[in-house]
Amino acid sequence: MKSIVKYSGIARQSLLNAIQYPANIISRLLMYSLFISVFFCLWGAIYQGGEVHGYSLVQMIWYLCFTELIVFCCRTTVYTQMNDDVKSGAIAYLLVRPCHYIIFQFFQSLGELCVNLVAFGSYAIVLALTYVGVLEGFSFYNMPYILISFILGITLNFFMLISLGLTAFIWEENTGFYFVYQKLIFMLGMFIPLEFLPVWLQSIARMLPFSYVAWAPARLAVAYSSEFRDQVLPLQFLWVFASVWLAVFCYSRAVLHIQGQGG
Amino acid sequence: MSIIASNLHKEYHTRIKDEGLRASLKALVNPVYRKIIAVDDLSFTVEPGEIVAFIGPNGAGKSTTIKMLTGILHPTSGDMRVLNMDPTTRREELALHIGTVFGQRSQLWMHLPPLDSFSLLARIYELDNKSYRMRLAELSELFELQDLLKTPVRKLSLGQRIRCEIAASLLHSPKVIFLDEPTIGLDVIVKQRIRELIALLNREEKTTVFLTSHDAGDVELLAKRALVIDHGRIVIDDAVTSLRKRYLNRKVIEVTLNDTQSPLCLHLPQGAYAETPEAGKLRCIADTRQISVSDLVKYLVETLSFNDLTVSDPPMEDIIAAIFRGEEYQK
Repeated sequence: MKSIVKYSGIARQSLLNAIQYPANIISRLLMYSLFISVFFCLWGAIYQGGEVHGYSLVQMIWYLCFTELIVFCCRTTVYTQMNDDVKSGAIAYLLVRPCHYIIFQFFQSLGELCVNLVAFGSYAIVLALTYVGVLEGFSFYNMPYILISFILGITLNFFMLISLGLTAFIWEENTGFYFVYQKLIFMLGMFIPLEFLPVWLQSIARMLPFSYVAWAPARLAVAYSSEFRDQVLPLQFLWVFASVWLAVFCYSRAVLHIQGQGG
Repeated sequence: MSIIASNLHKEYHTRIKDEGLRASLKALVNPVYRKIIAVDDLSFTVEPGEIVAFIGPNGAGKSTTIKMLTGILHPTSGDMRVLNMDPTTRREELALHIGTVFGQRSQLWMHLPPLDSFSLLARIYELDNKSYRMRLAELSELFELQDLLKTPVRKLSLGQRIRCEIAASLLHSPKVIFLDEPTIGLDVIVKQRIRELIALLNREEKTTVFLTSHDAGDVELLAKRALVIDHGRIVIDDAVTSLRKRYLNRKVIEVTLNDTQSPLCLHLPQGAYAETPEAGKLRCIADTRQISVSDLVKYLVETLSFNDLTVSDPPMEDIIAAIFRGEEYQK
C-alpha cells in the first residue's frame, strides 16, 4: 500500500510538472500538425486511388497519425533526463531515495505520458478526421484491444529508452545508441508500415522488438482483425516483459559502474 | 555508532590519451586506462549526535566517501555501516533514515513550488499525512519558509532554495544527515543562518551531521571534530579546537600602512613571511618557534611607517589552507 502511495505520488508530481508549461504542449501540437500535413501531401501524391500494400489513403493517414502519436507525442524525456542525471551528478539525489530507480523513472514518466496521451491523442483523431474523414471498418468494440496494444507499444518504447539511458552509467557518451534506436523505430514501422518493406526485411523486423512499438498498434487500429490481434498482442506482451527485464538487468549492472568523481 | 568505515577503498579506471588526431585514432584501437584511487584505506567512526567536518582539497575523495556511505557508489573493497546497515546492500532501507544535501544539486522540482516537492517527499519517505503536516509546520517555522512554500523553486534565490533543500532533507526526521558543501555560493548572512539552523537541528533533534565544506567558517562554527582527507586517506582526525591549538605557534600581524609605501620591498626576518600583500595593507605570519612576536613588531616599527597594527591568532581558513599545503602538523 505504501508503495502504491509512494509511486502514484511521483506520477502525480510529474503530471503537475508537465502541465506547468502549456506553451510546450502547444508548440509540439503545431509540430505534429506540420508532420501530418507533410505526410498527407506526400502520400496523397503517391496514392492515385486504390490501395498500396493493402492500405488505402485513409488508412495510411490514420496509420501515420497513430505512429506519430506513439513515437513523437508519447515520447518522454526519460532518456535525456537519465543522461543528464548521470553526467551532471544529479543521479546522487535519485539514488538516495527509498525507491527503486527504475520504478521511480517509470512513474515519473507516467504523469508526462498521461498528459501527452490525452492532449495528443484527441488532437490526432481531430487531425485525421479533418484530413481523410472516418476510418473505414472501425468499430468501438475493438477499442479495448487497440488501447492495450497502444499502451504496450508506449511501454515497450519507454523501457527500451530506459535501457539505452542506463548505458550512460557505463559509457559517458551514449548518444550513438539513441540515434540508431530512433532510426530503427522510424524505418521499421513509424514512417511506413512493415508491409511496404522487402519480404526478407519484414521477416527480420517481425522478429525484433522495434516494430511492436508503432507498427503493431497502428496496424491493429487501422486494419483490425482478430487474427492479427492474436498474433501481435502476445508478442507485444513478450517484448514488454523482455524490455522490463533488460532495464532491470542493465540497472543492476550499471549501478556498479557509477563514477562519482568531481563532487 | 552512527557511521563506521573500515578500510574503505574505491578505485576507478579512466581512459587517457595523448594530444592530437594520431593519439585519438590510436586510442580508438588501443584504449589506455589509468587507475585512479579516489579513496584509499579509509577508516573512521562517527558517534550518534556528533557533528563531524570532513574536509580536504578538491579531488581528495570527500564526495566519493559520502556517496559510498549513502549507498550511491559501491566501494571496491572495505566495509561500512551507517546506522548499523550496509549502504551497498540496504540502500533503500537506509534512505528512510538518512538525509542528504548536495549543495550544488537540487532535489526540488524546479518548475513547481517547494510545497509540491515536500508533499511528494512525504509520500516517498512514507510519512502519514498528520506527521507530514506537523513536521512541515515545524520546519517552516524553523527555516522561515512560510513565504516561499508556494513560489516555484526556479524563482527563489540561492539562499532561499538551500533553506528549502535542507528542510526537504529533514522532512522525514533523519538520524544522520550528510551535507556536501551546503553553504557553497551563499552570501555571508545566509551562510550564517544556515549554520545556525544546522547547529539548532543537531542540538534539538540530536541528528548526526556529516559535513563536507571548503568554507572554514562551516568547520569552525559547526563541527566539534574534523577529519582531514587528502589523496583518499585521512591525514588528521582531531577536535577542531585541537586543530587550532596545533597552529597556535603562528601569529598573524596585520599592518595598515601609510598609502605611499610598497610592502613588497620588505625583507622580513627568518621565521616570518608576508602573505597576500595588497595596497595599503600588509599581513605577516610569524612562526613563533623562530621569531618572537615582539621582535617582528620591532622590525616592522623600524622599517615601516603605519597607522595601525594588530596581532591575532591565525583564522581557521589559514589553518585548513596550511594543512592542505601539507605543512607540518604538530601533534
